[in-house]
Amino acid sequence: MYKSIMSLHNRIAVLRAERKLSRATLALSVGVNPQTIGFLERGDYTPSLELAFKIAEHFGLPVEAVFSPRPFRTLSEQVYELHKRET
Amino acid sequence: MVANEKRSWFWKKIGFWFVPARSEKLGPEEWAKIRKASRTSKNRRTRRLFALLWVPGLAFEIAVNLRVVRLDPWAGLMSAAMLTMLMGLAVRALRIGFAQVSLEDRATMEHGEEFDALKEKQRGEIFQRAVRDGLFGRVKVDEREAEQRLRAQGAAYRLLGPALVVFVAGYWGMCLFGPFEATRSALAVTAVVVTWLAALVLAAPTMIRMWTQPDEPEETAAIAE
Repeated sequence: MYKSIMSLHNRIAVLRAERKLSRATLALSVGVNPQTIGFLERGDYTPSLELAFKIAEHFGLPVEAVFSPRPFRTLSEQVYELHKRET
Repeated sequence: MVANEKRSWFWKKIGFWFVPARSEKLGPEEWAKIRKASRTSKNRRTRRLFALLWVPGLAFEIAVNLRVVRLDPWAGLMSAAMLTMLMGLAVRALRIGFAQVSLEDRATMEHGEEFDALKEKQRGEIFQRAVRDGLFGRVKVDEREAEQRLRAQGAAYRLLGPALVVFVAGYWGMCLFGPFEATRSALAVTAVVVTWLAALVLAAPTMIRMWTQPDEPEETAAIAE
C-alpha cells in the first residue's frame, strides 16, 4: 500500500557476504537497528540519502556501486562481458 | 546448576518464563523456547492475529464500560480510565516490540559472537537486558522505524477522516430524530461541540503545515546564494 514509488536496488547482501560482515555489525556501524539492514537487503525499505552514503562509506565504495535505481547486473554477466572485451 | 531432566513439569513448561533474573539456570530447551517465542511474536501472522483480536477486545471493553456506567457514572469513569490505560500500555508494548533488537542480533552487537556460542552468563545478561529495555521502552527508533510510524499514523488519519464524518452525521441524526424529547436541546449542544472537535482534528495537519513550512525561495534568491 505504501511502497515507495521508486524502488532502489542495492548490493548490501553481496557486500556483507563478501566481507563476512554480520547484519548487526553493519547496523552498529551505520547507526540503525539490525532489522533495518534486513529490510534494506530485501528491498522492503528505501534508505534516506544520509543512510545510503553511510553504508557506501562503510564499504569504502562510491554510493552508486552500492545503490542503483536499476537492477544490478549479475557477477557472471559482468565477468563474461569483461572476458569478451579482452578477447 | 540443576540438570534439566530433573526439573519439575511446572518449571519446564511455565516457571522459567517468570524468572528472567535467574536466567543463568536456563537449559538449552528453555533457551530454544524463548528464542522461538521471540521470533514468533514478531512474525507477520502473529502480528495480524493480534490486530484482529484487538477489534473484539475493544468491543468487549466498550461493553464492560457501558454496563458499569449505567450502574454508576463515577464507576464508569474509573472503568473507562482503567481500560483505556490498559489498552494504552498494550499498544505501547507492541510499539516497543517493533523496534526491539532480537537476542541473536544483540549477541553479535554486544559480544561479536553467535548467541549459541555465548556462555550461559552472557546469554542471561542479554536476555535480562532485552526484558528490561522492553519494559522501560529503551529502544532505538531509527529512520526506518520513524518512517513506519509516520506512515501508520498517516494511514490511521486517512481512515479517521471519513469515520469522523460518519460519526458526526450519526450523532446529529440521533440528536434530532432520537426519542429524547426532554433532552434534545442539550444533546444538540453536545452535537455542535462534537462537530467542531471533529473539524479541529481533521484540519490540524494542514494548520500545522501552514505554521511550520518555510517560505519558498525565489529563483533570484537561489542564484544569489
